[in-house]
Amino acid sequence: MKLTRYISLGLLTGAILFAGCNKKLDVTPGQSITPDQIKTADDVKAILFGTYNSMQHYNAFGERYMMMADLLAAPGQVAFVGTFIDYRQVYTKSQLATGTIMSGIWGRSYIIINGANNVLERLDLIAEDERESIEGEAKFARGIAYYELVNYFGAPYSAPTGPNADAVPIRLKPVANDTYHDDQDKQPRNSVTEVYDQVIKDLTDAVAKLPEENENFRATKYAAEAFLSRVYLAQGKYVQAATAANDVIENSGLALTPTFDKAFNNVGNSTEDIFAIQQTSQSNAGTSNNGLSTFYSANDQKPGGRGDARVDTAGYNALFDGADDRKDFVYAGSSIGGVDGIYPGKWKNFYRAIPVVRLAEMYLTRAEANLRSGAAQVGTATPLEDVNTIRERANAAPWTSVTADQAVQERFRELAFEGDWLWTKKRLKMNVGSRAYDDPKLVFPVPQRERDIDENITQNPGY
Amino acid sequence: MRRLYSLLMGSMLMLMFQFAYAQQKTITGTVTDAKDGSLLPGVTVKAKGTAVGTVTGANGSYTINVPGNTNTLVFTFVGYGDQEVAIAGQSTINASLSTGNKELSEVVVVGYGTQSKRELTGSVAKVNAKEIENFPAPSFESAIQGKAAGVVIESGSGKVGQGMKIRIRGTSSISASSQPLYVIDGLPMQTQSQSDGNNEITNPVADLNPNDIESIEVLKDAAATAIYGARAANGVVLVTTKKGKAGQKTVVSLDMNTSWGKPTKKRHFLDAKQYVDLIEEAATNDGKIDFKNGDTGYDTEEDAIADYKSFYEGYLDQFALGTDWRNQAVNTNWENLLYRPVAHGNSVNLSASGGNEKTRFYASGYYNDQDAIVIVNRFKRYGGRLNLEHSATDRLSLGLNLSVSRSELIRVSDDNSFSTPGQLVAQVPISPTIDPETGKLNKRTLYDNGLVDAALNSDKQSTFRSIGNAYANYTFLPWLAFRSEFGADVMSFYQESFIGKEATDGGGVGKASNFSTQAVSYNTNNYFTITPSIGEHHKLSAVVGMSYLQNDNRSNALQGEQYPTDAIKNLTGATLITFGGSTNDRYNFLSYFGRANYAYKDKYLVSASVRTDGSSRFSANHRYGTFPAASVGWVASQEDFLKHSKVLSYLKIRASYGLTGNAEIGEYKYQSLYNVTNYPDLPGFVPVQLANPDLQWEKTSQADAGVEFGFFGGRLSGEVDVYSKKTTDLLLNVNVPSATGYSFITRNLGKMTNKGVELSLNSVNIDGAVRWTTSFNIAYNKNKITDLDGQIIESGEQRAVEGEAIGSFFLQKYLGVDPETGDALYEDKDGKQTTDYSQAARKVVGNSNPNFTGGLNNTVTYKGFDLGAFFTFVQGNEIFNRAGVYQSNSFGGAFDNQTTEILRRWQKPGDHTDIPRVSLSYPTGENVSSRWIYNGSYIRLKTLTLGYTLPKVVTSTLKISSARLYVSAYNLWTKTDYISDPEVNTAPLGVDSQTSQNISGGIDFYTIPQARQFLVGVNVKF
Repeated sequence: MKLTRYISLGLLTGAILFAGCNKKLDVTPGQSITPDQIKTADDVKAILFGTYNSMQHYNAFGERYMMMADLLAAPGQVAFVGTFIDYRQVYTKSQLATGTIMSGIWGRSYIIINGANNVLERLDLIAEDERESIEGEAKFARGIAYYELVNYFGAPYSAPTGPNADAVPIRLKPVANDTYHDDQDKQPRNSVTEVYDQVIKDLTDAVAKLPEENENFRATKYAAEAFLSRVYLAQGKYVQAATAANDVIENSGLALTPTFDKAFNNVGNSTEDIFAIQQTSQSNAGTSNNGLSTFYSANDQKPGGRGDARVDTAGYNALFDGADDRKDFVYAGSSIGGVDGIYPGKWKNFYRAIPVVRLAEMYLTRAEANLRSGAAQVGTATPLEDVNTIRERANAAPWTSVTADQAVQERFRELAFEGDWLWTKKRLKMNVGSRAYDDPKLVFPVPQRERDIDENITQNPGY
Repeated sequence: MRRLYSLLMGSMLMLMFQFAYAQQKTITGTVTDAKDGSLLPGVTVKAKGTAVGTVTGANGSYTINVPGNTNTLVFTFVGYGDQEVAIAGQSTINASLSTGNKELSEVVVVGYGTQSKRELTGSVAKVNAKEIENFPAPSFESAIQGKAAGVVIESGSGKVGQGMKIRIRGTSSISASSQPLYVIDGLPMQTQSQSDGNNEITNPVADLNPNDIESIEVLKDAAATAIYGARAANGVVLVTTKKGKAGQKTVVSLDMNTSWGKPTKKRHFLDAKQYVDLIEEAATNDGKIDFKNGDTGYDTEEDAIADYKSFYEGYLDQFALGTDWRNQAVNTNWENLLYRPVAHGNSVNLSASGGNEKTRFYASGYYNDQDAIVIVNRFKRYGGRLNLEHSATDRLSLGLNLSVSRSELIRVSDDNSFSTPGQLVAQVPISPTIDPETGKLNKRTLYDNGLVDAALNSDKQSTFRSIGNAYANYTFLPWLAFRSEFGADVMSFYQESFIGKEATDGGGVGKASNFSTQAVSYNTNNYFTITPSIGEHHKLSAVVGMSYLQNDNRSNALQGEQYPTDAIKNLTGATLITFGGSTNDRYNFLSYFGRANYAYKDKYLVSASVRTDGSSRFSANHRYGTFPAASVGWVASQEDFLKHSKVLSYLKIRASYGLTGNAEIGEYKYQSLYNVTNYPDLPGFVPVQLANPDLQWEKTSQADAGVEFGFFGGRLSGEVDVYSKKTTDLLLNVNVPSATGYSFITRNLGKMTNKGVELSLNSVNIDGAVRWTTSFNIAYNKNKITDLDGQIIESGEQRAVEGEAIGSFFLQKYLGVDPETGDALYEDKDGKQTTDYSQAARKVVGNSNPNFTGGLNNTVTYKGFDLGAFFTFVQGNEIFNRAGVYQSNSFGGAFDNQTTEILRRWQKPGDHTDIPRVSLSYPTGENVSSRWIYNGSYIRLKTLTLGYTLPKVVTSTLKISSARLYVSAYNLWTKTDYISDPEVNTAPLGVDSQTSQNISGGIDFYTIPQARQFLVGVNVKF
């Protein structure tokens, strides 16, 4: 019968079309890769390099790791004159758990950590001769991200109850099977001590495994060591801090730039950058709403920033007692809102390297740590020589004697607008404006979204 | 695929030869007008299910040779109802067509076929060409607003070329798109905005010339939509373009119109005197409070007030640029400056259609140029269409529907940019537009002056669009036909934007970007239509087929800066390239479908359909979804006990139930993904997406029950539908702890319902020399999110709340003003009044989605005159004026000019008002709250048209067949409580997620109101 013929013909064509088209339903993503495409050492290294990009993000070293500390530490150095509500709230210490800055820093830090965890999970794909250094590099990235997290979301280590306070969850492995599991991927916050221990473990490992020199401004042994000196300083372990700083000064081969201004706005690292974030016109932390230069560069510069964050001239000038290149490393400009003011020279130009740890800091750390340790001097230079090295580079009059607290004042002058002020004040229990060093508002709230997802995530006091 | 396709065509050809010589029979007859018995020339007569057709001659008679086993003839004529007549062995068939009966015998387009309205068991709303033509909006959806019950269309603003929000029977998704599927002559149309992510979305549907549309069918219930399976959960809009008719003398139609537009409603801001007076009042208020608090330590209250006055007046001096603000030397109405004096529109449409038994054609060309009421914004389009059908044999017909169009859109920046003209209203009225020092546009305004940006910046988009569909129809046997269609929708999009060196966002160096996309969608449908004769009382028809759709989207983008001059605006002028990249994405759908309709004695109707869809959007394990639907109907009026009723001429009861899907979540959502990172010299990857191999279709089941009725021989007809839509397995972006390194995973989680009632009525009130018809529709929809598993999903002031409807405003509740202090009052978490904003609790304070929507259309014709008045209305929704926190906040800490609402502010103890005291230094009530929630209900006279058709005596002397002159007014009258135009929603940006597009609505943020337009036009047919 004819009917059956038509029907079988129809079915046949259908079957043929099916066979052809079904395969077409497997579509490979055009601009992303799937985990099964990670097969070689280069693929794993690319994930490692991705963590540098995450570190460059404005929620990390591209802006907020440094700038939020300085806004929290205000008044005194930075004045915020912009309209962005979230920034104003940090500046006035009225930040909310729902703020995007908190969730941004928290989230981006874990993106860095997740990248590092993914690298560490796939070390077997790396050739043996390179495996150690890649491991060290991933641990460096993870260690410094945890350090920023514990600083922002944990109570100060120096406070009596600080070490036992809740900080952030420690995650050392990526999610299983590239997907999320309700039962195993919710984790409570670890304590400040636990996070510090993890940071020291990662950074110590990184010091041991990273090369002394690395191409393309990647992390070196000395970058890890410099961060380690910060961690020890925060814990009051002065001998270790001085030892780490001393090794960087003595053996890294780095040297202070001849003049202070040459340490900033460079394409690539300066001679004193131990670790810096690179930027270009196509790869940067932002040019219109985000990025250090976007906020700190005056609006009438070409190209101009928003000029929302400027020098608190009264507070800043009061830091200096005489002629000093650092005092003069500012310029006049105006904000996008039309307010005239004085701007720091450090973040003047777009698309330049962002110094994260400079050699100058190591001199000041060694000086202060030696002065405070009460033990035998680490290194050949005396604390006075170290401080004068920094002062003379800035054309400030050298001193004839120095105390630990004077070395700290020198640190404030040298590292202004680089996100050091708050942490130094916290570790030394110095008041921040009218607030005590352990004021709850100087610690960020845990992002509300994390607590909405997991009720076992606690909130910091004061929120 | 291509090889297989030719194989299929080869087999087809073989079959053609096999059946080329079959029996034929000849049928003759005449067609008359049922009303007066006059002969009707030009009526199309077709053998149902074939391409065989002819047209009645001048004397209304016809002769047709139909294949031997043809069962039915179909008579169609513009303005009359279609009629189907069973052949049943007759060789002479006379038909009489009537206008009044139209509703009942009308043929509607359904998925992969047509059906008579009488036998339809699904819910389909039809909008005809007449109702769409000449509507002065760029996209045809605007014209169907209020015409199809249950279809809600929001154009959102008076900008031209913008995206629109369309909801059929409510929003049925949270994270996936809720826009309907558009199918143009069988080809699914690309509707995704291609515009850059940082501006508001645009509307690719606007590339279709509304005047080319013959009819629009909106498929609403599962019985109608399930044949489109996985893409049908949001409803389907079928667009059929005009075709030529056999035996018709070639008709050339020329339509020209021109329009003038202005905003429907201005907000009205303070003038210079009011502004200065209120700033002085703020100084007085602030001085008093400061003195009372002892904040500064003034000696007397007078000192305090004087000091505040001199402080604020210092600012006024700054704004005034040296002009005498105390005597209003300058009184700038910035609101007026954002509009054109008049927005012109011009439209020309020329079409020709005709044909013979062998070949039919419809060809058209159009040009349309529309200014927005807002400065700069302009949309210009031109294009053409050719629809061709050729009957090669009486078994084989071939055809082509092809349109090409080009559009040019000149845009302003999004509502949230300082540079957009809409934000000019924030400037203070004592600021001059021209700086007296420079003689140029004032750059020393409170905020960056948008007029400077309007002068220096440019943002142009051009789209070249070609939508074509070729088909072959072969009738093997009178009861078996095969149709194969191949179509392509090719969109080439190009955008150039430039920001001048001195513009707000120019950074002093000039910036530009360039963006282009090629979006190509091709689709093939292949299906059999089976209409066997199975006895006198039984009617069976079935469709079985397959379809494959593939969409490729390729784009590239470039950005640069540092221009030596504003004169060169392309990227060659940029000396620094800041971004360059290209992308390509693909998705595809492979589908099989079938439908069977059965009628017993034309009374008892049963229909079932099923579609299986496979898509690249899901993992191999969950790639296919099956979407069945079934429906029944009972034409009660065919029963003996009703057949002879003089009152009730038609009654049908129908019910349907079925399942449809939604997969509009974008690509690759089930896979774990790593994106490329571009750190200098270190190209890398970053993990960005969690895998979910279990991801599958979002499912919507829908039950629908309807009654269709006609009284008095069809003088009054209508239908009522009740439906319940349940969406489960919502495709939701579920938040995960950030410590995993990710922020969300896409899962099937959550449930949502939409329940509603729709009523439409059509009546011929007077039928004589004066003919007056009325059509009315109203729809009620209630949405409820029934399960979100504790997820909190927010967008701006709105939140998806379990147990509430989507679109809920979740805000601090404003309770008015303390009559003693003028301070704002809020409701705290215990329901008590508080003046402390930080104690105010957030709660649901309104919803942006209306309860009732509808339209009322009245048409009166007398001799050559026709008058139409069309009203639309929405009821039960709220609008949030997001700009209220700046423009109606009693200064609230800033110098923004205020709306005149502020004039009824609190002034002295004992004043009862809802507007707090004015203050710059001690603001109150300035924070976001329900203070700026307004009732969004409105009724508006959408269209008022008066036309005059020249009498035959005149047209025949002029040697033309007809001519009509018309004048129309759009948005002429509106009744609303809202302070601006109530058809408002600040458009989503391209980067906004589907989630925010679903959740948010009814937000006004310096949004341009709708236009009120007057239009004069002429239509001449040759």
